[in-house]
Amino acid sequence: MVRVGGVRTLAALGCAVALVSAWACGSDDSSEADAPKAAVRQQKPLPEEPRVRQTESIGTYGGRFILGETNGPKTFNAIMANETSSTDLTQILFTGLADFDNGTQQDMPALAKSWEKSADGLTWTFRLRKGAAFSDGHPITSADVLFSFEVAYDETLHPSVQDLLITNGKHWEITAPDDYTVVIKLPAANAMVVDLAGSVRLMPKHVLEPIFKAGNFAAAYSVNTPPDQLVTSGAWRLKQYAAGEKTVLEPNPYWFGVDAKNNRLPYLDELVFLVVPDQDAADLKFRAGQIDGLDNVKPENYQWYADNQQQGNYTLYDLGPAINSNFLWFNQNTVKKTEGGKKAGTPVVDPVKYSWFNNVTFRRAVSMAVDREAMIPSIFFGDAVKNWSTLTAGATVWHSPDIVKYDFNLDESKRLLASLGWKDTNGDGILEDTKGQTVSFTLKTNSDNKMRVGMANFIRDDLAKVGIKVTLVPVDFNTLITNIRDDLQYDSILLGFQTGVPPDPAMGQNVWRSSGRSHNWNISQLKPETPEEAKIDGLMDVLLASSDLAERKKAWIEIENIVNDQAWFIWLPTINAKLPLRNKFGNAKPSVIPHRLIWNIEQVYVKKN
Amino acid sequence: MIPLLFGISALTFILLQLAPGDFLNQMGENPAISPATIEAMRRNFGLDRPWYIQYGLYLRNILLHFDFGESFSRHQPVFTVIREGLSNTLVLAVAAAIVTWGLALPLGIWAAVRQYSWIDKALSLIAFVWLSIPEILSGLLLLMLAARTGWFPVGGMRSIDYDDLTTVARIRDLLWHLALPALVVGLVPLASRMRQMRGNLLDVLRLDYVTTARSKGLDERVVIYKHALRNALNPMITLFGYTLGALVSGSFVAEIIFSWPGLGRLTLDAILTQDQYLVMGSVLMASVVLIVGNLIADLLLAVADPRISYD
Repeated sequence: MVRVGGVRTLAALGCAVALVSAWACGSDDSSEADAPKAAVRQQKPLPEEPRVRQTESIGTYGGRFILGETNGPKTFNAIMANETSSTDLTQILFTGLADFDNGTQQDMPALAKSWEKSADGLTWTFRLRKGAAFSDGHPITSADVLFSFEVAYDETLHPSVQDLLITNGKHWEITAPDDYTVVIKLPAANAMVVDLAGSVRLMPKHVLEPIFKAGNFAAAYSVNTPPDQLVTSGAWRLKQYAAGEKTVLEPNPYWFGVDAKNNRLPYLDELVFLVVPDQDAADLKFRAGQIDGLDNVKPENYQWYADNQQQGNYTLYDLGPAINSNFLWFNQNTVKKTEGGKKAGTPVVDPVKYSWFNNVTFRRAVSMAVDREAMIPSIFFGDAVKNWSTLTAGATVWHSPDIVKYDFNLDESKRLLASLGWKDTNGDGILEDTKGQTVSFTLKTNSDNKMRVGMANFIRDDLAKVGIKVTLVPVDFNTLITNIRDDLQYDSILLGFQTGVPPDPAMGQNVWRSSGRSHNWNISQLKPETPEEAKIDGLMDVLLASSDLAERKKAWIEIENIVNDQAWFIWLPTINAKLPLRNKFGNAKPSVIPHRLIWNIEQVYVKKN
Repeated sequence: MIPLLFGISALTFILLQLAPGDFLNQMGENPAISPATIEAMRRNFGLDRPWYIQYGLYLRNILLHFDFGESFSRHQPVFTVIREGLSNTLVLAVAAAIVTWGLALPLGIWAAVRQYSWIDKALSLIAFVWLSIPEILSGLLLLMLAARTGWFPVGGMRSIDYDDLTTVARIRDLLWHLALPALVVGLVPLASRMRQMRGNLLDVLRLDYVTTARSKGLDERVVIYKHALRNALNPMITLFGYTLGALVSGSFVAEIIFSWPGLGRLTLDAILTQDQYLVMGSVLMASVVLIVGNLIADLLLAVADPRISYD
């Protein structure tokens, strides 16, 4: 009896001691984080027609790249993957007919070595590379391309990529005259066909067809697939997946990419996606040298990263303006279908407010009241630029600096408001409209985004200076989306768009077309409700159908000018993207287009000192 | 247990329905995805039906097929997703329990035996200071220490070369990664456990039978460890079971700071993206752990105290 209590105490103490001693003895394993066991490279013969990539310098084999990510992948199924934590990986695990080169911001060949179109622009012929093979050595042929498109078009699965592959409401007609030719017939001309076809990543028919036929495709290639059963078509294959911890990729021994000296790419032995959910912890891990590159650094930390580059042996790359835009807009939605006391064509918001929101002079006055330059130092720590389009200066092919804009001009803003006949009649500092209504509205934004809330605060103060009262309503992101898409219960919203890859205005169909669901100020119009919107619809047709870049650019600038002249979007600054990357890597070229760090990872190598 | 779990599941489901939007809302910022696609996905996931029908189907699948649903984002059964996270969380919770109890019991006894001495006061002071620091701060401070000194890894559960290590080295590696998060989670309840141990022992030491034992001329050590401690430990055993469950939920914050691949992060991610069956699965799992913890406490108590028996 004596011992029972004592033994228990002792046992617990013993465990604690064991823990303590384990810390002490464990500490010698920390070094050599950058030296994986040299992978034995399986020297498979090169394909007959490899893809040669011109690199800055010829690299050497070996080494590891550790990338810090906030989230792990949720699936390795390239066609079903929706969020970036998964697509970052599937994009390099699987190849497509074509790839997007972030450096030149243009298409480049992938499985298709070349392509040509018919004179009417409706028939596209893709010639496939001979000798290309999956990671299990099985050849990649046109049958795999057809299979992948079949999956993408499947009605039951309905993957999100399907939207991109529908032109004028019709599927493309895809045929394969032989093993190395794929022909795509379009219902109507589409300037983006190469990019869009490239967005269908190629999955192995010989592995997945039975699963697809059995109706289990969505669950195939889950994260728990054993690495040797995950047959990939891209430069990499899976080496290891540890849930919530890391994903390790290794070179696909059959990959068709080579450098100028016919060395098979990729150079690295391992590419590690390390999950570090907390951003502060990720910073610390980078500082401790346990991460080689980070894609998400908070702007308030830019300065620290800049100051410690020498000592930490890394470079903070300034990628210029990000390709994401910020803006606010007013609720100009009209009721589309007579229902429950609301007649079609009447405004969704209070008619008094609608009379302001629908007035272009009011919108211009608001735009001219916003002092964007004052926001930049305090909200973006000086690292932002003024922006006037969904395609920012980061989208080099499409950006044009000389478009219509209503920038900060306090006097002009006051003059415009006065021209509406609005006066502060009761001396409370807030204007009243011609019917005596106080000019005041609410501004919603998502509460988890510090920068948007910061900008909204600035806007409230700026508009107070011209006599407009703004009430801020920070809400949950999902609420905001419901407000925009479904119940339309808001006065104005401050939000942003993430531009996809490729950054092409034709990708913004849902935004610019009057029928679009993301045509935020007045969504899903049955037919264009204003002459300007009708004009934009026509220009979108040109943008989509023409294959002449100059003509497309002209159409885009015209759209930008109409939108900005109407001040449908009140544009706000865009942040400059910066990210840190260790200096030991050669050929690394961070770009502003996602994935900003690893888009050319197959060419990246570890420099020998 | 079953009615309790049923209640928890119903409550969780209703709370999830009250949150605005659903799993597909996160695609709202991507203008390339059309409403038709989102509607089709909503139908695929069954999210277009009213919530009570969704819940009814959920219960039916559990009762008839023991099927707890699929994660929307992963297209996998929720328990396949949860399994690994849960075991990692349990590892952390057990390590934290060892830190808490391994320190609380001996220190509590020590403080009680030397009541009002400077050691007693110093122990309380340190324990309460730690209690008052939020986990998120203590966690980041320890991470900073690790980053500066290199004595400990900066988060994570395993070294990057873990798979190339020998078994002994693997265990060492795991313990080395476990040290800081276990400390952060384990030290929070330390102060109260230590004070409870101290208080219990002091109460018992004032009882008549202890005075009797002392007046018989027994050695003070025998009095304390043989006679007093045995009785003072009983309430602590009950507490142990209850706090095991609390340690599981208490480790959620530390898991995020220390990149520990546990249930906490999985659940948070599922809640943020409204991956509803994954949330349901995690909540049910955490509840089961809590209930099992209480069961263990009751059983331990029966073993330790011959006066208690369950018929």
